[in-house]
Amino acid sequence: MSSVKAGLKIEVKRGTFTFRVKRYDPKTGDYRWSEYKVEVTNRQTVLDALLKIKSTQDATLAVRYSCRMGICGSCAMVINGVPRLACETKPFELGTDVITVEPLSNLKPIKDLVVDMDEFFEKHKSVKPWLIRRDEGEQFEKLDSYYVQTEEQLINYLEFAYCIKCGACYSACPMVFLNKNYLGPQALAAAYRWSADNRDEGYVLRLKVIDSDNGVWSCHYSGTCSKVCPKGVDPALAINLLKKSLLTGKPPAR
Amino acid sequence: MGMVAKSTLMKWHYITGLILVVVLGIHLAFRWPSYEASIQWSGPHGVYEQLLNIGYMAAIFILLYAATYHAMNGLRTLLLELHQGRYWNTAVDVVIIALGIFIVIVGTVALVGALQVI
Amino acid sequence: MTEKLATKRNPPKWSLWLRGLDEWLLIFQKVSGAILAIYLIGHTLVISTALGFGHPSQLTWERVIGLIEGPKVVGVAHVGTIIEYLIALLVAIHGANGIRLILMQYFGLGLPKPERHTYPMIPSPRKSPQLVYKYLVIAVVIVFIILASYVAFVG
Ligand code: SF4
Ligand code: FES
Repeated sequence: MSSVKAGLKIEVKRGTFTFRVKRYDPKTGDYRWSEYKVEVTNRQTVLDALLKIKSTQDATLAVRYSCRMGICGSCAMVINGVPRLACETKPFELGTDVITVEPLSNLKPIKDLVVDMDEFFEKHKSVKPWLIRRDEGEQFEKLDSYYVQTEEQLINYLEFAYCIKCGACYSACPMVFLNKNYLGPQALAAAYRWSADNRDEGYVLRLKVIDSDNGVWSCHYSGTCSKVCPKGVDPALAINLLKKSLLTGKPPAR
Repeated sequence: MGMVAKSTLMKWHYITGLILVVVLGIHLAFRWPSYEASIQWSGPHGVYEQLLNIGYMAAIFILLYAATYHAMNGLRTLLLELHQGRYWNTAVDVVIIALGIFIVIVGTVALVGALQVI
Repeated sequence: MTEKLATKRNPPKWSLWLRGLDEWLLIFQKVSGAILAIYLIGHTLVISTALGFGHPSQLTWERVIGLIEGPKVVGVAHVGTIIEYLIALLVAIHGANGIRLILMQYFGLGLPKPERHTYPMIPSPRKSPQLVYKYLVIAVVIVFIILASYVAFVG
């Protein structure tokens, strides 16, 4: 490996951490806390630790994960009070010996750290997050034209296209807590992402959903969503750009 | 209020917000230099003088209407955030509109009457 | 025992909200808005009564306001003075933060443009225009508190 050749030493530290895990029991409908002590290295993540606990200490611990590399968005959970991806958070970097792990707030629990993402995905779907063209024949049948896009046009929405639907922002949002039907940061960011795409012509269709009692207007720019997003999506910015569009009557810049 | 787009309601919420900064600012500035003196009937800063000041009274009229809109729309938004349902939504709209009209009528009657007598 | 799907969501993490100014401002905006809306109703009714519902006289004014103001507490300030003082503080914070939101969302002032990611990523609420805004909100409120305290307790 080139880095080794260059004289860089990869230092491996070991440490034992206490994991306090908040678990939901679907049989009783109650929460309880379990504590585990587990040794990890500074190169391992909270997800690695949880899986180690699962294989060596408590096989009943329920965790959801898939890619283990911050791409699928399955493993978001509240770690030390902040929603984050378990597979991108290293115990050594948290700075505490006791690490609390809880399921995402604002979502219904299924078991232990696994939450029901249905309402989150329903809200995502409700903003029509796909390319909408006025002429469906040209879009789906003729297939003979390219939809050209310049670098500048790409930048208009690229930031918001990185979303992996992990639900961290949704779980952090105070307004989702207050209003159960509020679409939430992720869905509204998706609405902006597609409406700001120069190939898309569906802004008018999305208006019905985003310009409603449960749409963009709940946002007060506390920006908690943007602060916790592991992908740097900045949903709060998208929501406020949507508000500006609605107030001034000018569709998103594309 | 299904027939009015939420963005229209909110646009006026923002516009009345801007207006309120001015007229509510005037309303508060008239407490200067002493709150106590500003709520006495007579005296150089008293209520009687305030009623005679046409500019101030114009601001108070605008304040009444802008504040009522801003408060009622805000209250409606909050009530719909706390709970939603078919009957609840209708009830909220009815109560909010009734309350708004009530405030506007009471305030207007009192202010217009005061202006006429003085 | 059978397993059943939960009907209630996981409770929120208040600690996540109570440590940031942005979140405080949000909670404050909601709560103060509700209090001010209710105050508006009361204030309109009281002042309209004091103005005799269109038949103003010094006598009615003094009787109604005297009743509302209540006994003296500190210096020149009555119970009513202190309530009005607190309401004025709510107005100041609600207004200062409200202006921030209006300028940003209506006029786009201080709202950054979407850009290509560079690491580490700084979310827009942590970028400088927002920080300036929030310090301005605090500064305005502090100046207001000083002026209002003078008007209520000294002047
Ligand atoms: S916006 Fe960020 S935090 Fe929200 S779902 Fe997408 S990736 Fe997760
Ligand atoms: S497991 Fe895929 S994002 Fe963490």
